Amino acid sequence: MERRNFLKISALTGVAATLDACHAPDKQLIRFVQEEDLVPGIATIKPSICTLCSAGCGLEVRVMQGDAEVIRNGQTGIIKMGLAKKLEGNPRSPVNQGKLCARGQAGLQVLYHPDRITHPIQRTGARGSGEFQQISWDDAIKEVSSHLSGLQTSKSMSGLSFLARPLRGQRRELIGKFLKAFGAPPAVWYEPFDEAVLRQANLLSFGHAALPTLNLGRADYVLSFGADFLGTWNSPVSQSIGYGAMRQGRAGRRAKFVQVESRMSQTGANADEWIACKPGTEGALALGIAHVILREKLAPNSAASRAGAQIAGWAAGLPKYTPQVVEKQTGISAAVITRLAHEIARSGAATAFAGGAPLAQTNGLFNALAVNALESLVDAGRETGSNSGPILSFAPDVPTSIAAKLETSQASLASLTALAKATPQMLLLYDANPIYFAPAATKIREAIAKIPYVVSFGSFIDETSAQADLILPEHAPLEQWLDGQPESGSTQAYISVAPPAVAPLHNTRPMTDVLLGLAHQLGGDFAKALPWTSFDAMLKAAYTALRTQDASMKTKTDDEFWTAVQKDGGWVGASPTAQARSAAATSKSASISASGIQSEPEFAGAAADFPFYFQPYVSQSLGDGSTANLPWMQELPDVLTTAMWSSWVEINQKTAAKLGIQQGDLVEIQSTQGSLRVPAVLSPGIAPDLIAMPTGQGHEDFGRFASKRGANPLAILALVTEGKTGSLAWAATRVKITRVGGPEQAKLVLFSGGLSGFPHEEESR
Amino acid sequence: MSHKWGLAVDLDRCTGCEACVVACRAENNIPTAGEDQAARGRTIQWIRVERTWEGDFPNPKVRFQPVLCQQCDAAPCEPVCPTYASYHTEEGLNGQVYNRCIGTRFCANACPYTVRSFNFFNPAWEKPLNLQLNPDVSVRSVGIMEKCTFCVQRIKSAEILAESEKRELKDGEFTTACAQSCASKALVFGDLNDPNSEVTRMATSNRATKLLGELGTKPNVTYLERGTWQDATNS
Repeated sequence: MERRNFLKISALTGVAATLDACHAPDKQLIRFVQEEDLVPGIATIKPSICTLCSAGCGLEVRVMQGDAEVIRNGQTGIIKMGLAKKLEGNPRSPVNQGKLCARGQAGLQVLYHPDRITHPIQRTGARGSGEFQQISWDDAIKEVSSHLSGLQTSKSMSGLSFLARPLRGQRRELIGKFLKAFGAPPAVWYEPFDEAVLRQANLLSFGHAALPTLNLGRADYVLSFGADFLGTWNSPVSQSIGYGAMRQGRAGRRAKFVQVESRMSQTGANADEWIACKPGTEGALALGIAHVILREKLAPNSAASRAGAQIAGWAAGLPKYTPQVVEKQTGISAAVITRLAHEIARSGAATAFAGGAPLAQTNGLFNALAVNALESLVDAGRETGSNSGPILSFAPDVPTSIAAKLETSQASLASLTALAKATPQMLLLYDANPIYFAPAATKIREAIAKIPYVVSFGSFIDETSAQADLILPEHAPLEQWLDGQPESGSTQAYISVAPPAVAPLHNTRPMTDVLLGLAHQLGGDFAKALPWTSFDAMLKAAYTALRTQDASMKTKTDDEFWTAVQKDGGWVGASPTAQARSAAATSKSASISASGIQSEPEFAGAAADFPFYFQPYVSQSLGDGSTANLPWMQELPDVLTTAMWSSWVEINQKTAAKLGIQQGDLVEIQSTQGSLRVPAVLSPGIAPDLIAMPTGQGHEDFGRFASKRGANPLAILALVTEGKTGSLAWAATRVKITRVGGPEQAKLVLFSGGLSGFPHEEESR
Repeated sequence: MSHKWGLAVDLDRCTGCEACVVACRAENNIPTAGEDQAARGRTIQWIRVERTWEGDFPNPKVRFQPVLCQQCDAAPCEPVCPTYASYHTEEGLNGQVYNRCIGTRFCANACPYTVRSFNFFNPAWEKPLNLQLNPDVSVRSVGIMEKCTFCVQRIKSAEILAESEKRELKDGEFTTACAQSCASKALVFGDLNDPNSEVTRMATSNRATKLLGELGTKPNVTYLERGTWQDATNS
């Protein structure tokens, strides 16, 4: 017997003796011998993957030994275990290169959140009453599998639906295989701010249905149309690294950065020149700039090749987009348009890209295609084939079949409304909260209420899981096997995989293992489709296929390769050659016609009744609202307004003065779909005809830190969509604004305090 | 070689993303105040990102500036402390000895940078949020002052490690939590006594300025001014 095992056994015997004599059963010492080789006070660094947004940054978790109160085998007790203390970026990840954003840092609070569901629970009261009772995992699994076999017996396998936030990697594969083996329709992927428009545009313009990778570090001129690329859009950490380099990374060469948007974002605040453009006319502005470049022969028509071919009138030099015409559409003077064209055409390496609100218009695809065409026209790096390659390119494919692709052009909203119409018999929810995230006009709440059996894998009670009949809580991300395939942010092929960084705190199970367990119980086709007993076995099978692709690993065994990949937190392909990089910018695949796309924006609500454009924007700290329950994020001051723990709307100072609205006043925002009441923040960085509002607050039910706080702008959006893709045009709703109260009714908390909403109270201690 | 720790902030690189703010909170066991206390101005941040608006629509300008303890050589906070809780360390830090502090708040009054925070209440972490607490940093109780330490726990462990291996510390071998998270590399920490360190290079840049330098506080935090775009095509 090994010494270690001997110690374990004797310790456990000792514990058993102690347990008998113990009078306080809730604080029993379960085990003296720790499960890991941790030295007290010495930190161990373990790789993991950030799941707080879709960028897929690599993590390094600082793990130290500590005492945790946990439940093991139904018993509460204190054990010594590895505890995650701090998250840093993984320096071996080509996406975030050792860096991590504010939201990523807060991943620790997901793990240690006091509102986590600690064991499976079953609904006892009415739906949404919040009354649940604890059940065992065995009973819970039996419950689900009997419902699944019920569907099989009644031959209504198509009555099973799976709703999740868009996933990449093996988790997506597993869900897909499970549903296929069962005979259910494919999973429905929903997120409020989907990128279907941009992917579709990039497919048309460049042959890649993906988000772009921006190598800003070599840019001399950056023209961004609405993309909050330093804050919330695409791969912000990767782009911030490039931004630092383009500012001060090269001696004597500092890039110019121009941001076009109608509400100043955190990114726009860093621009050398900030240009307010009428919402929805960003594409026209891009074509106005292109018109000047073509007219003055600063670049040939053919430079835009495939991207230009998508734009009507490109070959003829865009006769309909003279600066004078574009001035009328966009509100930007012809002189500025001409100057921008001169600057960008004469700068060394230049790039143009669009993201965010310009694409969330009814003419979003037109705006995206127009900016893509301008990008192709001005990206000098690609033309010269210089060693450094293009600024805008696409992440290389991982060279194996394990790379699961997104069904990219499919818009979230369309699949969600289809789900609402289909009224399935049984719904599985994974990391999805459509009742909060979808506009009320989708009627998804009513649709879910009609589904006879709803199972959630959520870690928290939120608006949707509160409606569930059964909740099978997942491990926190740091407690389980993770894998990822960042869509952008790296010019090298990259996939990430990481084992659990810490042992689970609660009586939870990963969704992946629950699905595999169910597959084994149901047998038949399932066992063939999903032969693995656990998710890590599935990951290993998938990832070892990569070994033969890696020159340095050809001589190693599968096991050695798998160990190396886990240790690094992923696998990085070789640096692509300049040729490959140029190919990654434009693929030669068959062209698709973009005819019949709408070029003029349309808005929901008549201008006479609803005089303001309404623009929700993704919060830097709370994201779309999925991190609103983290106290670190609630207390992070919004960098432009310093607001925290609050909701607010931004309104132009002069407009506010006309309407008699002062800083902190309570205002009512009304659209055709409903209204909400929030405090007003006066800002010089917003167009006079626009009202902007951050997302994230307004949860009815999301734990102690987020519930009943502020308002959710997504709730009042009209169901207008981008014409070609069916993606939600979330920036195409009009509203009116009315002052309904003073600051004492509004509860706006700023970094410097917010006393008016919080009357003085005598305190004693 | 004795060390003199300093930080440089390149304002041309800073994007106002506030990763430093959360990294600092996580590293240094800074409690959240909650809505009601935050509304009373009692939230604690050792580093904050200030923003300044200039001009009006359609040409508003914003500047971001991370502000933290400037670790002054002639620190106004130190001589006013009646209990020597605020003191100057041998390596140039403005130390704060928590168990000497009696909460007179004279130091906060004297500091021109308003980077010192008072603990108005005993911090609480709802279980199991307490499991995140960094065991290398003490938790502060009600009634005392706290502020940025330049992650002194990281400095000390790096120094001890180097000493045990009988070698000098290398530039960039360790850094503060804020600088480690900073994606655009706006924050750079290092030894100002090392003539070849990145922070020394930045501190002697022609863009280098000190925050309220005219007060004579001799800060060890350097700010590098924002650059401007030179239009090479117009000349």
